[in-house]
Amino acid sequence: MTLRTYVIRRLILVVPTLLLISIAIFSIVHLAPGDIAHAIAGRRTPSREVMEQIRREYGLDQPIPVQYLTWLGKVVRGDLGFSYLNNAPVMSLIAPRIKYTAELMLVAEVVSMVIAIVLGVIAAVKHYSIVDALSSLGALIGYSLPDFWIALIAILVFSVRLGWLPIAGVSTVGIEFPSPFHALLDHLRYLVLPASILVLGWTAYLFRMVRSSMLEVMRQDYILTARAKGLRERVVIYKHALRNALLPVITYEAFSMGFLLSGAAIIESIFGWPGLGQFFVLIAHRRDLPTLMGLTMIIAVMVLIANLCADIAYAIVDPRIRYE
Amino acid sequence: MSSNSRVKTDEKTEEPYEPSRATRLFIVWRKLRTSKLAVTGFGIVLLVATLALLAPVIAPYSPESFFLTMRPPTLTHLFGTDTIGRDLLTLVLYGARISLYVGLGAVFIEISIGLTIGMISGYFGGKVDEILMRITDLVLTLPTLPLLIVAVAVFKSKDINTIVLVMGIFGWPFMARVVRSEFLALRETLFVEAARSMGASNWRIILRHILPNVLSTVIVIATMDIPWYIFWEATLTFLGFGDPTSASWGVLLWRGYLYLQDAWWIITFPGLALFFTSLGFNLFGDGLRDALDVTTRGR
Repeated sequence: MTLRTYVIRRLILVVPTLLLISIAIFSIVHLAPGDIAHAIAGRRTPSREVMEQIRREYGLDQPIPVQYLTWLGKVVRGDLGFSYLNNAPVMSLIAPRIKYTAELMLVAEVVSMVIAIVLGVIAAVKHYSIVDALSSLGALIGYSLPDFWIALIAILVFSVRLGWLPIAGVSTVGIEFPSPFHALLDHLRYLVLPASILVLGWTAYLFRMVRSSMLEVMRQDYILTARAKGLRERVVIYKHALRNALLPVITYEAFSMGFLLSGAAIIESIFGWPGLGQFFVLIAHRRDLPTLMGLTMIIAVMVLIANLCADIAYAIVDPRIRYE
Repeated sequence: MSSNSRVKTDEKTEEPYEPSRATRLFIVWRKLRTSKLAVTGFGIVLLVATLALLAPVIAPYSPESFFLTMRPPTLTHLFGTDTIGRDLLTLVLYGARISLYVGLGAVFIEISIGLTIGMISGYFGGKVDEILMRITDLVLTLPTLPLLIVAVAVFKSKDINTIVLVMGIFGWPFMARVVRSEFLALRETLFVEAARSMGASNWRIILRHILPNVLSTVIVIATMDIPWYIFWEATLTFLGFGDPTSASWGVLLWRGYLYLQDAWWIITFPGLALFFTSLGFNLFGDGLRDALDVTTRGR
């Protein structure tokens, strides 16, 4: 099979997967005990007329398969429904939040990637050295720390006790900044804590991956060959070993989108970062079902796209891959 | 003639021998013992388990007795008291029971589903394998925490068993994939062929011949997953989706969060307990993986 057919096949497979996910989300919400119309109406006790109106408006008087198809049809066209609780279309609630989540995740991702690769390579090349022992121990600790707890401790130390950094939010309210540069600096002060907490956890993971992958590659025959050819050690490590060692790491990264988003949800909630994760926790508490379904669908699509990109990138970069 | 017999004895000593179960356990133990980290991890896990089991005996007070609220640590209350005046040390000790129950319970469900699917998929292959692996991949790519929240929020049940069940239901795909790949490799081996030629049924081959060879992998993955379930439960309860009446570490942290500025000890000690427990399982899991020579990396 050529690369092109592989990519096309992989793309076609996305469709049934998305369908299955949509069925899963739809069933979880509809299998739930209790009246959905009641949940949509929210905390207030609705009158019979309101309930009737909600049922009609949301098509709850229709048979379940019809309801599902109607919902799916709308989702495909980009209409995620209407949130009664927020009195706004779901899409308009979600859209402005995407950039905050993207910013937080991107910063944390890049920083942790750089630290993990540098330390991981050193630890693997100087196996059993002090650097290896210390960074491995550090990774083990970082990996065992509950992220939400360390976030609380960080707030306690850096915001409450020392007063160095703001507790929550994305920018200081009610201040006129003399220039966009000052506004940016102010924003960065808010970014430091949540991003650092994410970096702490992700670096620990990535480091373990990079280190074990490097150790494995360094044992390969082609590394021996490269050394036997008389190449300088730098070239052997960075050109021959690291490139191959990073392949599984990068795929793993893309595959852990779901996991990364989960981590971001907790951190966003604690630091009042107005991204998708915080919104998710908020609407789950309020049982805003149409919004919950829409947002979960969006998250699932994002995760799926990341996985797809990982698979395709892997196939392009690694000619050894066998297309099943 | 003599040289001939000499060769024969040499060949005999090189014949692979099947160590007995006790010997195999001993080999694993000997390898584990040489790793200081693994022994430390094992010690921590043992300590946490003992403290959890003996909580009613060693806890200084009853979890239902009340004192002054939000007192900092003193000699009478080593960890201080919580927001409603209970002794925090007592609560942390009792919390260990819930956390271990959650970790072990969810892992039990994970093994039940993951092992079954992995065995069937890897052994029978073909269409069955394809369908099962498609489902596995689907669950694997689902963002776990959001779905846990959806499930718990939608079902309105804040019962700890619901959380354990839901976590187990979302947690099995990795186990299934690894078990499948081991079965896939082992079903082609000579000993399986031999068993089949003697007329052993499929299920006998799966359970008696292949499964024992896969158990060490299962144990390693299970050990490494336990702290995850403990984390997830704590996270869910911390975000307010847990059972607020239980005394799990997550609930303690959730309550303490509201008084972050006034009572540092309420968030500090349950969090340390959480960290310590997870460190123990991670160290032990790492050591076990090395001792049992299992590769869990890669899919």
